Amino acid sequence: MHKDDKMTPNERLTAFMTGKPMDRILAMPVLCSMSGLALGMTHKEKRSSALNEANAQVACYERFGNDLTIIEYGLHGVGAALGSQMSDPEDSIPAIMKYTLDNLNDVDQLDMSKLELKNDKKFQLHVEATKILIDEVGKEVPTGVLISGPFTAAASIYQTEHLLRATRKNPEKLHQLINFCNEGLKMIYREFIKAGAIILLCDPIASGTILNQKQYLEFVLPYTIDLMKDIHDAKGMVCYHICGDTTAIVGDMVKSGCDMLSIDNRVDLAYTKEVAGDKVPILGNVDPVEVLILGNTKDVDLTVKNCIQKAYDSPCGYILASGCDLSGEVPLENLDQFMASARKYGKWPLDPKNFV
Amino acid sequence: MSASKEELFKRLSDGVVDMEEEDVIEACNEYVEAGYPIFDGIMDGLVDGMNRASQLYEDEEYFVTDVLLCSDAMYEGLSILRPHLPSDEAEKEKIKGVIGVVEGDTHDIGKNLVKIMLETAGFEMIDLGRDVPLQSFVDKAKEVNASFVCMSTLMTTTMGGMNTVVDLLKEAGMREEVKVIIGGGPISKKFADKIGADGYSPNAVEAVKLIKKLLAIA
Repeated sequence: MHKDDKMTPNERLTAFMTGKPMDRILAMPVLCSMSGLALGMTHKEKRSSALNEANAQVACYERFGNDLTIIEYGLHGVGAALGSQMSDPEDSIPAIMKYTLDNLNDVDQLDMSKLELKNDKKFQLHVEATKILIDEVGKEVPTGVLISGPFTAAASIYQTEHLLRATRKNPEKLHQLINFCNEGLKMIYREFIKAGAIILLCDPIASGTILNQKQYLEFVLPYTIDLMKDIHDAKGMVCYHICGDTTAIVGDMVKSGCDMLSIDNRVDLAYTKEVAGDKVPILGNVDPVEVLILGNTKDVDLTVKNCIQKAYDSPCGYILASGCDLSGEVPLENLDQFMASARKYGKWPLDPKNFV
Repeated sequence: MSASKEELFKRLSDGVVDMEEEDVIEACNEYVEAGYPIFDGIMDGLVDGMNRASQLYEDEEYFVTDVLLCSDAMYEGLSILRPHLPSDEAEKEKIKGVIGVVEGDTHDIGKNLVKIMLETAGFEMIDLGRDVPLQSFVDKAKEVNASFVCMSTLMTTTMGGMNTVVDLLKEAGMREEVKVIIGGGPISKKFADKIGADGYSPNAVEAVKLIKKLLAIA
């Protein structure tokens, strides 16, 4: 347990879920793709072995005492397993260089078996990392897996721009592609749930910056509802996140059946509280770039304070988090500050005098 | 009797706004056959339609998909009309810009939208594509004598590349002549100021206004 805390993250989360008192507010900066920094590893080193991936998370937890460790299955895993070609950068998340599906009408030829654990080495690595991590620190802190939702998985198979055109020009085949992704994701999620991880379902390509509400309701939400149901059937827990400006769909997102809802810094936390706060706990939304990467500790302190101010009284509870995954050169002292400010303003029992 | 010029302008413009490629193609062919001035057909028909589409995008009535489909219709129309432009108009020098997604990143929808809007506004855009080696922005800008460079990225890990391009332009002694604008998910005014870019735009419509302002074009 972190020296400045009085409860472990597991104890804190259990208290949160059951409405019991805690030592402080839950704080989950999304220490995922940058986690290697805690051990001086590049992203390539971090993603090269299960042990490195797990160790990076342990190092983050030991330093920060954050309430969630995170395995990075990532957003492109489905496409990569099916044959999309990825770059292999030293210190960045790999990017898709070539999509495995050129023509949407060939969707029938996608091979589901390539997504199975026994056939996908990267998937095996992440499940193994989950097991090592839970073995190591699972008694104290929960582990989540950052993984794509159905629309983003489809966009790792078939280029996004064509995907968007297909919403009008070839909706039938597009539905078939998304459905394929959904069935694949169910299988993948189940392996992580079996290993003990919480599903952190991220669907950035379904962002309100890219899709309108009508497209979200037709091509994303029904599949997500189906996925959430399967996660719950498998006794899993899921936090739902979409990047960018999702103001128009926050009310719809919560209908997916998610256990928690995480929002980007482009969405107002007070608005989210109003629309979704009485249905699920909400997470958000310290700006990862402006504040945590480009800002200083004073900026971090002020932003954490503002977030708590806006959402502390959300009816189903509030978890302090970053608005998105943290990647790149995040100054680690900004993350120390994130947690210190969470302990300062989020000290239990919450008292508005501390942060208003 | 063939349709009047004005009727065809309307059909071209509406075809773009309504994303009806076939209508645009048909109206373009009629327009060419009737022998009306090609330049007017492009400006008062196709470009007018795309301008209306970008206004709808700005008003949040249209989204990314709509703009892409409108531009598909516009480009289909242009491919029919352009070959018929009289040579003095076809060869008229336009202001040139170089555009691309910086090295390490392949997310290019935003870049493509900006390119569409700038082309609609009358600029000649040289598109370097995605995952563009940083030196290429400088080399290409020099080669074509570009007035501006547009860079985009969605990833925080590749943002730094924009800074490098600004430095490379300085080293090449070109920074004064070439305006630099940047955009993309993690990018902000603050970041643009930090790396010494000339401007930041949060979206494609603003990018056009920004470039016009920087180049002092009405």
